[in-house]
Amino acid sequence: MTMEFLNLKMPMVRGGSHAKAGTDPHSPDRRIEQIVFAVALIVLVAALPSLNIGYRFLSIAITTGYTAIALYGLGLQFGQAGIMSVGHAAMLGIGAYTAAMLSNHLGIGFWAALPASIVLAAIAGGLVGLPSLRVSGQHYIIITFCFCALLVICLTNGGSFTGAATGLDVGSIPRVLGINFDKLFNYYYLVLGALAITLATTYAIMNSSYGRTLRAIRENEQLARAIGINVDMHKIGVFMASGAFAGLAGILQVYYLRHISPTLYGAFPSLYLALMVMLGGGRLLYGPLIGAIIVNFLPEVMDLNPVDSRIAYGVALLIVILLLPGGVSSGLLAIYRWVGGLLVRRGSKAGS
Amino acid sequence: MRLGITLGLPLAAALLSGIAAQTALAEDGEIKVGVVAAESGSFVSAGNTIAAAAKLATQQINDAGGIKIAGKTYKFKLFIRDDRTNVDTAIAAARELVNDVGVSAVWGTESHDFSVSMAKITGPAKVLQFTGNSSLGGVLSDQTVAKDGWLHYTFQTEPQEWQRSTSTAKGVLSLVGPQLKTPPKHSVVFVGNDATGQYLSENYVTALKAEGQTVDLVKYPPDTTDFSPLLTRVKSLNPDVVHFWYNGDSTLIAFPQALKLGVAPSYFLFGVDPGIYKERGLKADQPVTMSCVPMCWGSAPFQAVKDYFVKYFALGAAKGPQSSVSLLYYDYFFMYAKALEQVGKLDDPDAVVAALEKMQYQGVVSAVPLSFNNHHQVTFATEVCLAEPGTSDQFKCAVEAPPATAPKAD
Repeated sequence: MTMEFLNLKMPMVRGGSHAKAGTDPHSPDRRIEQIVFAVALIVLVAALPSLNIGYRFLSIAITTGYTAIALYGLGLQFGQAGIMSVGHAAMLGIGAYTAAMLSNHLGIGFWAALPASIVLAAIAGGLVGLPSLRVSGQHYIIITFCFCALLVICLTNGGSFTGAATGLDVGSIPRVLGINFDKLFNYYYLVLGALAITLATTYAIMNSSYGRTLRAIRENEQLARAIGINVDMHKIGVFMASGAFAGLAGILQVYYLRHISPTLYGAFPSLYLALMVMLGGGRLLYGPLIGAIIVNFLPEVMDLNPVDSRIAYGVALLIVILLLPGGVSSGLLAIYRWVGGLLVRRGSKAGS
Repeated sequence: MRLGITLGLPLAAALLSGIAAQTALAEDGEIKVGVVAAESGSFVSAGNTIAAAAKLATQQINDAGGIKIAGKTYKFKLFIRDDRTNVDTAIAAARELVNDVGVSAVWGTESHDFSVSMAKITGPAKVLQFTGNSSLGGVLSDQTVAKDGWLHYTFQTEPQEWQRSTSTAKGVLSLVGPQLKTPPKHSVVFVGNDATGQYLSENYVTALKAEGQTVDLVKYPPDTTDFSPLLTRVKSLNPDVVHFWYNGDSTLIAFPQALKLGVAPSYFLFGVDPGIYKERGLKADQPVTMSCVPMCWGSAPFQAVKDYFVKYFALGAAKGPQSSVSLLYYDYFFMYAKALEQVGKLDDPDAVVAALEKMQYQGVVSAVPLSFNNHHQVTFATEVCLAEPGTSDQFKCAVEAPPATAPKAD
């Protein structure tokens, strides 16, 4: 069994190929390793509440969880298809506001609103993605930024329909099988479940022919078109998938905070989401999760105020851009490979 | 023998002092109170006042021997958490204070959204919350403050907005009027476009109209730093008075820009204390008015308020544009302590709420005793000051009593 089970990703990563002999992600050994790692991760995070970590830590873990779900959408869009957005918080907002408005105006609760939030955010994602068929790069980034600003203006001036700047409140999540989601531990497991589904879906997409096609588009769009790939359809598809993840994150956020307002979905939160995915790395499976953990826990662990945090993020981003173009996750993978290789070599020497 | 004395006496003293300390611990109980406030980030000016006022009140109560509940002495222990002007951090801090620390009351926050989200944590846990924004008036109702309502344990530390807006508008116009050649007729309200800004400006525009003003409302995005395009638009409206609402920090950035552009013949700065006007050396050739909630730092009307600010800053509190707001949190701390003493037990938050609902408390904030109405809101006067043109430290102030009824909207 090789020690490279962290390599749950597409074959190519900027800065070099990972498709080395013996590291085929589809080999039986690799699959077992991937499953072992995923199970170990799930057991670890599922066991967190029983470790007496405190409500503060648990609260931040929940925030990290739904932020990571949103980031997986952006990760697909940026990491797999190569299209960056600085308006991703708006997708989150559409999911959150769909749930809040359904609750306030029609009395529809969490479970019934859940598919609506996901579907509407997916549709919005597809619509915002339409301009990407005509423009790309920084031009498209500006469009996403404008969409985000426009949404905030609409929500702020939407009167009682959107709750205006004051925002909207929602009630508790209705119990399922007697589980009270007002209890923080249960909410943590709800978010964890959603995150696990998101991870599994992302893994499935990344390792499907659709995922490979997205990467082909990212590497050379013209070539992809030339060989007959329907680039437009694939792009809109990934925008919709990205929106769906954000919609799921949005409804989890609103039922966690129980109150939302437009400021949560403006340009600044969007920039933070872009920062997280760049820090963690959008191309590897665990990159968005790592980005969410860094940005949510760094101020807590290091007791940083917002100004210091921004300086730290800026410096970290510079380091990542210069030294780890694939994000912190690719750096961790490289370290892991190095240590694994060292152990394998020592084992071989001892054996001989 | 000498060795025995040399070693024995200090040992005996140490043992005795240990016993004495243990006796003191046995006699003294502890009441845990939390503070969630922005000690960093964009709301730091308002947030600092909460923590600093709570510290001062705690120190004074504890230094005076604490409070007596059922024959036992209790002292307050404060747990201050910085929300970093971030709702996720505020929620995490509230969870920690309520569930991990086990506080009986929380002071904060200063932001509407944060306060509402926090109330959904403090309410079910029956933890009292004293939160400082009048925009809560939009959600405090008969139903929400009822015994099974989600705001039953939440108290608004600022007055009802229509009361504050009406007394502020009256005070501003009465001070500015004599300074202008003709009485002011046209006002522009320049306000940050967020939850608090929308709620406050809605009330203030109504109050100005009730005073006979023609009013235009111009909103600016929160976190704006270059106000010149919007201020140029305001200037084109030819106002007699420009009213800057509500974030004192933003106002202190916008106001000098307005002076440079010569936007209006007079200005009103909400949320800016005369004390900070003087500290910053601000000066205008036009009449400039300011209002304080409730009484001004820098031009306090009563000796008790002046004494308060001396002690407040002596404790290391930052001098900010809204230092006067700290008075609210200070007085309510004493109210809470008094309510606990009246109830005579610590494990009955419903009784504490009932005691607060009935209480008349004479504090520093107001010339008349403070009391909460049936929506957990208080009533007190507003002080409005005029900086004499061309000066930084010459103020003429008036205390405007709160109106009994709300002004009628159009």
